[in-house]
Amino acid sequence: MIRYLTLYKYFLRFSFSKAMEFRIDFFFRFLMDIIYYVVNILFFQVIYLHTPILAGWTQDQMILFIAGYLLCDGLNMTIFSNNIWWFPQLINRGDLDYYLIRPVSPLFFLSLREFAANSLMNLLVAMGFFVYALFQYQSSFTMLDLLFYLFLLICGVLLQYCIQMLFVLPSFWIQNKRGLIDFFYAIALAGERPDRIYKGFVRILFTYIIPLSLVASYPARFFIEPFNPWLLVHFFGICAFFWLLMLTVWKKGVSSYSSASS
Amino acid sequence: MRGFSSIVAMELRKIFAYRTDFWVTFLGQTLIQLLIARSLWQNIFETNNVTSMQGFNLEMMTLYYLLVPIGVRILAGQNIGFLSQEIYDGTFTRYLIYPVNAFVYKSITYLTHSFFYCIQLFFIYLIFHLFFTDMPLNPQGLFIGLFVFFIASVCYMSMSMIVELISLWADYIWALMVMLRFFVTFFGGGIIPMDFFPDWAISILKYTPFPYLISLPVKSTMSLIPLSETIEGLSILTFWSFIFFGIVSLMWRRGQKSYAGVGI
Repeated sequence: MIRYLTLYKYFLRFSFSKAMEFRIDFFFRFLMDIIYYVVNILFFQVIYLHTPILAGWTQDQMILFIAGYLLCDGLNMTIFSNNIWWFPQLINRGDLDYYLIRPVSPLFFLSLREFAANSLMNLLVAMGFFVYALFQYQSSFTMLDLLFYLFLLICGVLLQYCIQMLFVLPSFWIQNKRGLIDFFYAIALAGERPDRIYKGFVRILFTYIIPLSLVASYPARFFIEPFNPWLLVHFFGICAFFWLLMLTVWKKGVSSYSSASS
Repeated sequence: MRGFSSIVAMELRKIFAYRTDFWVTFLGQTLIQLLIARSLWQNIFETNNVTSMQGFNLEMMTLYYLLVPIGVRILAGQNIGFLSQEIYDGTFTRYLIYPVNAFVYKSITYLTHSFFYCIQLFFIYLIFHLFFTDMPLNPQGLFIGLFVFFIASVCYMSMSMIVELISLWADYIWALMVMLRFFVTFFGGGIIPMDFFPDWAISILKYTPFPYLISLPVKSTMSLIPLSETIEGLSILTFWSFIFFGIVSLMWRRGQKSYAGVGI
C-alpha cells in the first residue's frame, strides 16, 4: 500500500511539471471546464424559469444535485479521464507491453499515472460551488448527512470510472483507436440529469444497463429525500457488480492482448 | 472543377471507410441524446400538466432534439484539429505545394463532411415523419432548412478556422475549440430551444451569430418560422461569414511568418 502511495506521489510530481510546460494550454483547459460548469448551471436556471419543480426537486435542491455532479466530474477529470482517454491507443500501438511488465498492478498504473493538474483547479471551483449550494440549501441537515453524501459521491465517481473503462476495454478486440469512448461521452449526459425524469425502458437503461444515473442522482436523493434502504442496496449492488465486471473484462482483455500494433 | 470533385470523392471514401464510427456516433449522439432530452421535457410537461410550452408540444420537441445533434455535426464538419493538428505536426506544408489553395482544399474537405451529414438529416427527417409522427411533412421547409444548415456550416467553419489558426502562436488550441462548441451549442439553442430563454437574453443574442447557427436552421427545417425570417437570418449569417473570413485571411497572412513547418 505504501509502495503504491509513494508511486502515486511520483505521478503527481510528474503530472504537475508536465502541465507547467504548456501554460497557455493549462489556462485554456481550466477556462473550458469553467465554461462547461457555467453552461450546466445556466441550463437548469433557464428550465426553472418555466417550471417550479423538476423531477420532484425545487431549484435549491437541484442546485445541490448540480454541485454534486460537477464535483464527480471534477474528480473524474482530475484522476481518471486523461488516463482512460489514452488507453485504446496504448492497446492499438502495442504500447501496453511496457505497462504489463512493470512490477506494479498494470490497471493501477494505467488508470492513475496521469493526474490532470488543470482539472484540479476546476475541482477546487466545483468544491466552491458545492459549498455555495449547501449554504443556499433551505432544509436542515447534519454533518453525518453531508459526510454520507460525499462518501456516496466518491462511490459514484468509482462507478463512473468502471463504466468508462467498459467503453474503452473493447479496444482489445475491436482494434479501434478510440474504443467506444466517443459513445461514452455522448451518453454521459444521462448522468447530468436527475434520474426521476427517466421512465420505462430508458430508466432501466440508465439505472441498470449503463447506470450513469446513479453516479450523482442517487447520492443527491439520499441527501435531499427521506432514507430509502432499497435505493442504497441498488446503489451499492450496481457499484459492486460494475467493479467486478470491469475487472473481469480487463483480465479477459489482457489475456487476449496480442501485443502487435494495428 | 475536376480538382474539386476529386477532393469531394476522396473525402466521401474516407467517411464511408469508417462505418463503425459512423454508427457509434449516430446512435450515441443522436438517439441516446434524444431519449434524454425527451425524458426531460416529458417530465416538465407532466409536472406542469400542460401539452405545450413556448409553442412546442412533445412531438415538436422530439423532432427538435432529433435535428439538433445532426445539425451540430453539420456545423462541426470535420473533427477538431482539421488545421491545428497539421500545423503542430508540420504536415500543413504539403497543402502549400498542392495545385489548389490550402484554404480552398481544407474548406472543400470540411464542407464535404457537412454535406454528408445534410444527407443524413434528410433521411432521418423523412423516417421520423413517415413512421413516428402525425405531424405534416413539409418538403419545402426541409429543403430550405438543409440549405440554411449548409450556409450555417460555412459560417461555423470560418469561426473554427480563426480558432484553429491560433495554433500558429499557441501550444494547444483543443480546449478553445471545445469552448467554441459549448458557446455555439448553448447560445445557439442546441441544449434548450431559444424560445425558452428570457427576453433580455434573446435581444442580446440576436446581435451575435449564435442564434443563426442552430436555432434558425432547425426551426426553418421544422417550418416554425416564416420565409422572411429565414431570409433575414441567412443575410446575417452571410454578413458574419464575411467578417470571420476576413479575420482568417488576416491571421493567415500574419501567421505564415511564424509557421516554421517543422511542428512541435
